[in-house]
Order: sequence, then C-alpha cells, then structure tokens
Amino acid sequence: MRLARGALQAPLVLLACLTVLVLATAQWTLPLPYNPIMPGAGPPLRPPSAAHWFGTDRFGFDLFSRTLAAGSRDIPLAISGTLVSALAGVPLGLLAVTRGRAGELLMRGLDAFQAFPLVVLAVAVVALTGNRLENVVLAIAIINVPRFMRLVRAQGLSIREARFIEAAQTYGASWLRILLRHVLPNVYGVVIAQCSLTAAHSIVVIAALSFLGIGISPPAASWGSMIQAGAQNMATGQWWVVLFPGLAVLVTVASLNAIAEAFDRRLAQ
Amino acid sequence: MDPTFLRLIGLRLLAIPLSLLVVATFAFALVALIPGDPAVQILGQFATPEELDRLRAELGLDRTAAERYVIFIGHLLEGDLGTSFQSRRPVLEEIGRHLPATVELVVLATFGAVAIGLVMGGIGAWYRGRWPDRVASGGITLFQSIPDFLLALLLIFALFFVLRLVPPPVGRLGFGASAPPAVTGMLLVDSLLAGQYATFRRVAAASLLPVLALSVVYSAYIAKISRTTISAALNSDQALYARACGLSEWKVFGYALKQARTPILTYGAILFGSLIGGAAIIETIFAWRGVGEWALKSMLTLDVPAIQGFVIVAGAITLVLYLVLDILVLLLDPRIRLQ
Repeated sequence: MRLARGALQAPLVLLACLTVLVLATAQWTLPLPYNPIMPGAGPPLRPPSAAHWFGTDRFGFDLFSRTLAAGSRDIPLAISGTLVSALAGVPLGLLAVTRGRAGELLMRGLDAFQAFPLVVLAVAVVALTGNRLENVVLAIAIINVPRFMRLVRAQGLSIREARFIEAAQTYGASWLRILLRHVLPNVYGVVIAQCSLTAAHSIVVIAALSFLGIGISPPAASWGSMIQAGAQNMATGQWWVVLFPGLAVLVTVASLNAIAEAFDRRLAQ
Repeated sequence: MDPTFLRLIGLRLLAIPLSLLVVATFAFALVALIPGDPAVQILGQFATPEELDRLRAELGLDRTAAERYVIFIGHLLEGDLGTSFQSRRPVLEEIGRHLPATVELVVLATFGAVAIGLVMGGIGAWYRGRWPDRVASGGITLFQSIPDFLLALLLIFALFFVLRLVPPPVGRLGFGASAPPAVTGMLLVDSLLAGQYATFRRVAAASLLPVLALSVVYSAYIAKISRTTISAALNSDQALYARACGLSEWKVFGYALKQARTPILTYGAILFGSLIGGAAIIETIFAWRGVGEWALKSMLTLDVPAIQGFVIVAGAITLVLYLVLDILVLLLDPRIRLQ
C-alpha cells in the first residue's frame, strides 16, 4: 500500500489515473449531449462546432458522445482482460518457480509462442471462437498470460535464493506457504506495473480488433471501429472522424504507460 | 571454427524439426477452437446438407482426431498445405504469391525502425539529462502509445491530402498501371530489373507512408535500448580510458555505438518476424496485397486451411530467423561463446 501511495504522489500520475477513470466511466457519469448509438444526431460529416464538439461522421453520429461512450466499453474490456491474464499468469508463474527443469522447458515453449504476431493471433482466436466480448477477453488473456508467467518466474527465481526463504525452510514451512507468504508479497510491485502496461497494450489490441470489425456489434461504439469508420475520410480531408477517437486511444495508452513507469521508478528506488 | 561454436549451432539445428512439429500441432489444434459444428460455422446457416457433408469430408470431420492429425502431418511432410476454401487454390501457392510484397514492406520497415531508433537513442545518450534527451524521450513515449494504423491514417491526411507528397492509398501501382514482369515478386526489385523506372518511382512513393508508419511506431523500443546501452558505454571505464588517451568524443561515441549492436540486432530480428503477420492492418489500409492482409481475410472468413498454412509458414520463418540471429550474435559477441 505504501508503494501505491508513493507512486500516486506524483501529480502527473494522479492526472493519468483520473483521465483513465473518467474515460472508463463517462457513459454512466457524464451527461452525454446525444445518444451515442443513434445515427442522424446531426447532419453527416460536419467539422467540430458548438453543437457537435468533435463533429459528426458520415452517418451523422455525434462523435463527442460516441468517443466517450466507446471508452466506457474499451477500457473496462481491457481491464478485465488484464485481470484475467494476471489471475491466471501469476499462479502459473509461481508454480514454475518451484518446478526447476519443467519450468525451464515450459518457458522455452512460451518463448516461441511470443514470437508469433500477437494481433493476428488475437484475430484468429476471436474469429474462430465467435464474435463475442468474452472471446475478446480470452484473446487478451492468451496473449498476456505468458508475459505474467515469465515476469513472476524471473522475479521469483531471484527471490528464491534469499536468506529469508532459507530461514523459512529451516523451520519447516511448506513450499505452498513459502510461495504465498514469502515469494508472492515480493512480486506484487512488478505485477502491478505489468498490469498497467498490459492494460495499455490491450487498449491497442482491442482498437485493432474493432478496427477490423471483430468483437464489436454495430451500432455500439468502440474507438477502433470509429477510427475505421473515418479511415476513408482521411484521404478526402475529414480529419475529425479519425482524430478524436484516435486521441482518446493515445491519451489512454500514454496514461497507462505513465502509471506503469511511475511504479517501475518506485520499485527501482 | 571452434568446436563449441559448431556444437551450439548443431543443437539449434536439431531443435528446428521439433519446434516445427509444435507449430504444426498448434495449427492443427486451432480448428478445435471453433465452437459447435465447424462446417455450419464456416458455411453459414443457409448451406444445403450436401454442401455441409462435402465440407465435413474435406475437413475430415468424419474421422477421429488422431486419424486427422496423422493425415495432417503426413500431408505437411509432403509439402502439401491443403487448398484454400475461398480461392480453391493450393495454400502454398497463395502464400508464395503474397509473401514477397510483405517481405519488401517488412525489410524496409525494420531498417527504418532501426535507423530512427538509433538516432533517437543516440541523441538521448549523447545529451543525457539535457533538453534534447527530454525531447527524444517525449518522442519515444508518443511513438510507444500510438497504434500503427492510427499513425498511418494521420500520415495519409498530412502527406497525401494536405501536402500531396505521396500518391493516394489505393494500392502499390495505382489504377490502370501494369505490374513489371514477375521475377522475385517484389515490385521494387522487379521494376528495377525490367528497367521500368517510372513504375519504380510510383511503387517507391506508395511505399513511403506504410514504411514510415511502421518504422516510427516500432522504433520506440530500439530507441529505449540504444539510449540505455550507449549511455552506459559512454560512462564506462573503457570510455574513460579512451578519453584519457586523447581520442575525440566522436570516436568514443563510435565505440559506444558498437555495444548497442547485439540488443539492436536481437530486437530487429524479433520485429522482422512479428511484422510478417503483424503488419496486416497497415497492409489492408494501403491495399498492399501482402501475406498479412491475406491471412487476416482468411481468418475473417474462417478459411481453415489458409489459417493453418499461414501459422505454419510464419512459424517456420520465425524459427529460421532466430537461428540466423543466434549465429550472428555468437559471431559478434565472443562472451556468449565462452559461457
């Protein structure tokens, strides 16, 4: 907890946390000027104006309402994917610490897996399992579980040699107790930093998936599908359709990266 | 050649067939992800029973999983990756047709990423802690946070719509132009070989945006590691000694740069491998007709043999790439050989 408080003290990090929180809950907490899933809220393809702050797209969707509503879908989705990855990856990584040779072999196998293009893998998983939200979470988990495992294992292996583990072994603590009481508390910090990084990366993966029309059912809004809807307009000069959802992705990812870096800096001290 | 070196390479070579078998098994298992009856999922609800039966026979769903696996591996050993459901052509032929364009894109993007990353990392290390370092770090953070397809679209607006510096994103040749006679399948190389310089210029101009978008986004990591390695090398005892001997600061920087080559080579190879499929969205935006775009289309239409073929070919390319990488790293860095 002291770690969390220390990381939060930096004003920039606090701002980053707030930004993510606001974008993640805007649909329910902020009064949106228009219904985000109603086409024809205004005339089509109009630039930003007093009535439509972010302009409208070719269906007349109000882009301001839609950008905020999309965040309330994409961010919770990214966070659930991250939590599932951590909940599966951390215990598996801890187990790999106790099993020396088998753990080594497992990690070797995962290395090869990491080299595969991840977005393509995510597309394959969602396309094959069916176009549903829980499958997007599954795809994110498949991509990220190995990362958590590798991280926890590396951290755990360095702690395993510590004096206090030796001490615990001398008074006859079981390996389960050693893992949970002595190793786990020492990997919390890196796991939290990794969660923030994973959430940032998941935002990009979800945007890429919905850009391709995967894991999203129209007219529901998602940053990726909004960027896709405006992709053609970029060559004809209607920049606002892509820019605002794009900025939302950029700001969210940069905020999550900043939070991760703040945690890393604290850990390094 | 010393024997340890040869032994290490030999071990890696022996591991390749085994790794390929793992990749093939993974590709085989992908079909098992499809929930319910794969034939219905692939053909849709309006397929006739005869069509469904034919597809089931083609997928081998009337056999047990073990039989299917043996047949699958058997075909693979004969170099047969099956026939695409969509195009009705051999998967291997389809991949051969689409791969050269992707290789062109990925080679250019990897070199671009290394160049941009080295410059930014070098600036960061040289001016460590001063304002150019902070500007470079800000740039790296920005590059790290932007999805490649978003940057590509912003570049289309800026460089095509506003400045008219590049041709419109409607494909590599534009409308009505004919491709140069295929030798390598790579348009940039083929147009030069055929002496069609106008075509070459058109293709090169059309390559600018996708290459730039990928290079900039993926330069972030290279910039980070080169900043760390180079600045550590600049503060090392060797650098102090070199300065004491009266070498110019530029010479010292040159030596420091040398230390960054192993991590950059490693990341460059990983980047190259992952972009073979990972550039798919960029390929789609620019109508590049590469293998990533093709694989993506196959996935969206549940073209099972095509998906499996892509997984196997991408896996094989990655394995060969890592072998070459290991050999290069061993040659460049004698410390690893001594371990």
